[in-house]
Formats: sequence, structure tokens, C-alpha cells
Amino acid sequence: MRRVAVVGTGQTRHAKAREDVSQPELVREAARAALEDAGIGPAEIDAVVLSNMELFEGRALPELWAGEGAFAAGKPCLKVATGGTSGTSACIAGFHLAASGLFDVVLVAGFEKHSEGHTQTGMALTDPFWDRAVASGAVGNFALSISQLQAERGITEEQAALVAVKARRNAARNPHAHLQMAELTVDEVLDSRMLAHPVRMLDMCPQSDGACAIVVASDEPARRLCPRPAWVRAAVTRHEQPYLGDVDRRLLTMRTLRDAARAAYDAAGIREPLRELDVAEIYEPVTYAELAWYEALGLCEEGEAGRLIEDGVTAMDGELPVNPSGGVLSTNPVGASGVIRVAEAALQIHGRGGERQVEGASTALATGYGVYAWSDVVVLQAEAA
Amino acid sequence: MSVAVAGVGESGPALDDPRSIPEIVLEAVEEALQEARLGFDSVDAVVTASVDLLDGLTASNIAVTEVVGAVLKPETRIAADGLVAAIHGSCLVRAGAYETVLVVAHGKASLGPYWELTSWALDPIFLQPLGLDFLACAGLQARALAEDDAAAEQRWARIAAERRRAAAAHGVAPACTAEDVLASPAVASPLRRESCAPLADGATAIVLRAAGPAEPGVHLGGVGFDLSPHALGERELTEWDGLRRAWARALAVHGTRPTLDVAEPSCVFAYEEDLFRHALELDPGTEVSPGGGLFAGFVPVAAGLSRLAAVVRALRGPGGLRAGVAHGTWGPAGQGQAVAILEAA
Repeated sequence: MRRVAVVGTGQTRHAKAREDVSQPELVREAARAALEDAGIGPAEIDAVVLSNMELFEGRALPELWAGEGAFAAGKPCLKVATGGTSGTSACIAGFHLAASGLFDVVLVAGFEKHSEGHTQTGMALTDPFWDRAVASGAVGNFALSISQLQAERGITEEQAALVAVKARRNAARNPHAHLQMAELTVDEVLDSRMLAHPVRMLDMCPQSDGACAIVVASDEPARRLCPRPAWVRAAVTRHEQPYLGDVDRRLLTMRTLRDAARAAYDAAGIREPLRELDVAEIYEPVTYAELAWYEALGLCEEGEAGRLIEDGVTAMDGELPVNPSGGVLSTNPVGASGVIRVAEAALQIHGRGGERQVEGASTALATGYGVYAWSDVVVLQAEAA
Repeated sequence: MSVAVAGVGESGPALDDPRSIPEIVLEAVEEALQEARLGFDSVDAVVTASVDLLDGLTASNIAVTEVVGAVLKPETRIAADGLVAAIHGSCLVRAGAYETVLVVAHGKASLGPYWELTSWALDPIFLQPLGLDFLACAGLQARALAEDDAAAEQRWARIAAERRRAAAAHGVAPACTAEDVLASPAVASPLRRESCAPLADGATAIVLRAAGPAEPGVHLGGVGFDLSPHALGERELTEWDGLRRAWARALAVHGTRPTLDVAEPSCVFAYEEDLFRHALELDPGTEVSPGGGLFAGFVPVAAGLSRLAAVVRALRGPGGLRAGVAHGTWGPAGQGQAVAILEAA
């Protein structure tokens, strides 16, 4: 694929309810910030990619209304919607548009305003023949797969709680994050309300209102617009169709993420991800998922994920800081969450991470997780290919 | 490098297809792959188009992941007209990311009250509370056009009748006369029931492949798309400005202005043909919707991709046609516009 890079990022303040803004206004907040970061005006955008899960707000084709927030009026604009991977898939669509030669600068904007709808109702609208009658939404589905993960890999509730603590403490250094809990302890996580055994309230991501945008540019404009562009070295998507009975494919074996990671590392020339990656922003909708992803991403051997979190390998001062932003566990406006992963990975390379900056980060990983165990893996690097 | 259309497949248009969405889609996909002489294994990436609220599914491509062969493959799912999915598919090939891309769009209008559902796509603060939907917005647009054009309604009735006649053999509605159109009840004045394309169920699939510019077959050339401002009051309703912009982009990508033998616009309403011809400054020699266009059956979301398939079939036919244009639109009163030039090499 031709060279493209992320040259600017912007996001809103994420919160439980952003009653001060409409959906287009929310999008505008992120889009304007991304353009300012890239040092360009709306006229320099050639195309816009949006990302949103419309049924969470009970809408249809919301980009028709909210697109103007992303300066899309009078421009080519399309929307990607694939559940949790919407944002990463929208970024990848933006990379492809910028690499096609048809567009030089593409704005990607993801948004969600969960407070205006009912997310779990939207989530329950699955396959009407096999899955819908269960109407479980996110928590129930994960509970099944997590029980299996515990049984097969010996993951403990304490290890999962450590992920929750790391995420919310990291989030305290991210001014955009929704849940900022600088003092959160393992005991508090273990004492939080049981939602569906073994998933507790503080194991789950929140539902947030928020938007995030990135500016993607092809080779020449990228060099002109950004002193240290985050070059796209790999952008891989893998889809899947597991039904409720295929619980193993959702966390334990997670063959989409394994396969996407392998393909992405091959493309980026990465052999030892734990050593060669400087920072990772992974899509962990629940604490246990982060531990499952450590394995699937090849950061550790089978059954070693618990040790990784216990030893602080993925802490801010560890060998590979995972989710310095606080991750999805701290902020989850679904349509934006994948864009946030890519934006946070890119801003680490740009060196604009503020208090959550990983010193000298030059290779960053971003992942997306959606609907039926769909996976996106993106590798960004300070060095162009 | 060029992008060739290696295969097209279609299911429908059909009235009230009793099959499930995956069954309808599989028929189109198998036909497209068969035409391209390819198996699922040869497809590098898939682009699908669908709209959640119309399917009653969250991330409605969950209905088709298996039948489009996207298991453990890259799939981009786009919520817009299917022609945008084809344009994105061509960008994947142009980017050098993939060589063979399957593009699939489906719509099943019989699942619910289509026009009423479209009200949920309108600005919930200023537009939806007025009781508008896409049909009402089209009525307002047609009214704006008819204001200064006393002959408009007669002309649109003749267009609708002509399309219905051409589509009668393969469409979901019988032929009718211009008098029938004018005598049919108003659905959003001045639109009458018979001046609107009949809603239908169906799916369209196409296979795109990287090809040399001179490789025999039909090539997808210049492409363009656009999203206009949402509010009707912020647009000049008597024109499709967005299509004009999309067309200018398509011509810029194409490099030259081809002589178009055939045009397949996505006109759900007869009046839209006026807007289409005007935006493209269409030559009177270009044949428009020889098979009746969407009057054979308007399959939401798949419509634009079905137009692309129609142009491909025309260019492959015995007539020796050289170039054609396919068009797709979505949103209220043509807010979203997409256009693609196809050429026989």
C-alpha cells in the first residue's frame, strides 16, 4: 500500500452525558481539534469518513445530520459502522482513501452519544434466528467467555482487577478520559457490584458521550503538515461469524485478533512485539479482555497474561505501556473508541501525549474489537517504510 | 493501473422475497463469483453496504459475514448507497492494498415501512418533528421544480410510464400509461403513487480486480461522491449540486470526458431524471435507463450498485457500447450522491 500517515488528532471531553452539545456539535468539537492539531483548515480536507453505531441512539444514517460537524458538507463522505471496530475500521478506510491517489487529506471522525439512546437494546439486535432471544447485550456475552477464560487459563479476579486499576489510574493523567480514578484499588474493584458472574461493575467499560477525529494524509502532504508523522505500517481487519455457542472465539482463541496481529507484525517487520512495540492502545471492553488480548497479540505465551499484569510489564513504567490513555475501560463512546485508539497511538508518536506520553515512543499498536469478535490491528511508526 | 469489473451478480428485484437476507445475498454473490470465475479463496477483501435500521440489526453486516466470505478476511462495512461501497472498493485496489475485492449491497424493503423508517434519518431537532421522511422531502423538491414549470407533471408522468413499460417484463410492477400515473393518488404532492419506483427486495454483488488498462472487459474509471448539507433550506432544491460536484470529481479522476452511450441513474422518482440530466449535462444521445432503471424495483441501499451492474451488462452486450455512467443517491432529496464511469476496453 502507498504511504500514508496520521498527522493530527483531536478529541472531546468524554463524559456520561454531554447534554451541552448535539451530535453534530460533539463531532465538530473533535474535528476542529484535529484540524488545529494538523494546522489545516476545513478547505484542505478532501474526504471525510465517519464512524457511529446509529441504533445506540435509535437513529438511521446519522452522518446525514452529523456529517456537517466533521466539515463534510460538499465533500465526499462515507460512514463505517461495525460495532466496536467502527472507529478503527473507519481509520483504515481513511488510510485506504488517502492511499488511493484520489484524496490527499482525509478526516476520520467517530462519535457516539450513548446518553441519547439505550445501548444494550441496540446491542441485543443480533441475529433474529439464533442469538436475539438471549438478548444479553455486552455483559452477558462476556460473562460466558470470561468463565471459560478463567477455567482454561487460570485468570483470577484479582488479575482482572489489576487491569481495572491500571486503566483508571492511567486515565487520571488523560484530560479527555471519562472515568478518572487516581486512587482506585484492587479491593474497590472486587467490592464493586456483580453484573453477571464473574463480571463486576468496575470490570466493564462505561458508556460515554464523545467524539474523536484524526487527520490522515498521503506521503507528500504528511511530510509538509507534521514534523513527526505517524506512518501507517500495517492496517489489518479480520471478520468472523461466531454464534452464541462459539464462546471460545470471543476471548480464549480469538482467532481474528491472532491472525490480524500476525499479518500486521509481518507487514511492519515486527518479530518480538513485547520488545519492539513502544506503546499499545488496545480495545478492551472488559478487564478480562485485555488479558486475553495479551496472548492473542503475542505479548506473552499462553497462560502468562496474568503474570504480565502482576509484574507491571504493561504499566506506564513497564516494558510495554498498554493503554496510557486509560483505554476503553475508562472511556467508551463506541463509534469513537476505535478512533481514540488510533489517535492515542498516533499522538504518542507525535510526542504530544502530555502527562500520558511514553518517552520516545516510535512504534505504536492500536487495535479494535467489535460485534462478533471482529478485529482490527494498526501499527504506526515514526519511520516511513 | 486500472480497476476491472470481473463479475456482477444480482438477486431480485423481488416483491416480498420470502427468503432471509443471507439467502438473498448469497444468490448475488455466487453469481458474481461464477461470472468472474473465482472462488471465495481468491477474494482478498470485501466491502458491504447495509443500513442497520432497515434490517433491524445492529451492525447489519452480521447478517451476511458468512455468505460474503468475510470470515477471517478484511471487510469494510459502509452505511450508504451501494455505489459508495463500489467506489471504496475501487480505492482499495487503487491503493495497492488488495487485488480482488468483492462488493455487496442488500436491501429488503418488505421488512418494514421503508418511507416511515427514513424519518429516523432526519435531523431529530428541526426536521423529524415536522413529520417529514424521504418521501415527503422528495415531494418538497418536486414541488420546488414544478413551481415554475407548468409542463413538469405531464413530463414526469410520461417518463414514469416509459420506465415502467421498459421494466414490465423483469420488474415488480406492471406497465402503465402516463394517464394512469396522473390518475394515481398523490403520495407527497406533486408525486403520485405511480410516479415513484416500486419498493423491492434484493441484493447486488460485483467483483473488482486490478487490471492492466488495456485488459479486455469493463473497467471502473472515474468515480466521485458527495454529501450535501442536510437541511433542505441550505440547499438549492431545484438542483442536485452534490451530483454536480461528484461528477466533476469523477471526470477529474477519469482525465477525459467520455462519450456516454448509456446512463443508469438511481431515480426513485421520475422528476429526479431532470436533475440527473442537468447535473451531468447529459448529451441527448445518451440512452437513459434502457431497462426501466429503478422502476423495475427500488431496492434501498443496493440501488446504486444495481445501476453499476446494469451499465456493465449494457457494455458487455452486443450493441458495441463503449462507455456508461452509473449513479447512486441516498438521504433526503438527494443529499448523498455517487457516480461512476464505466468503459469497455
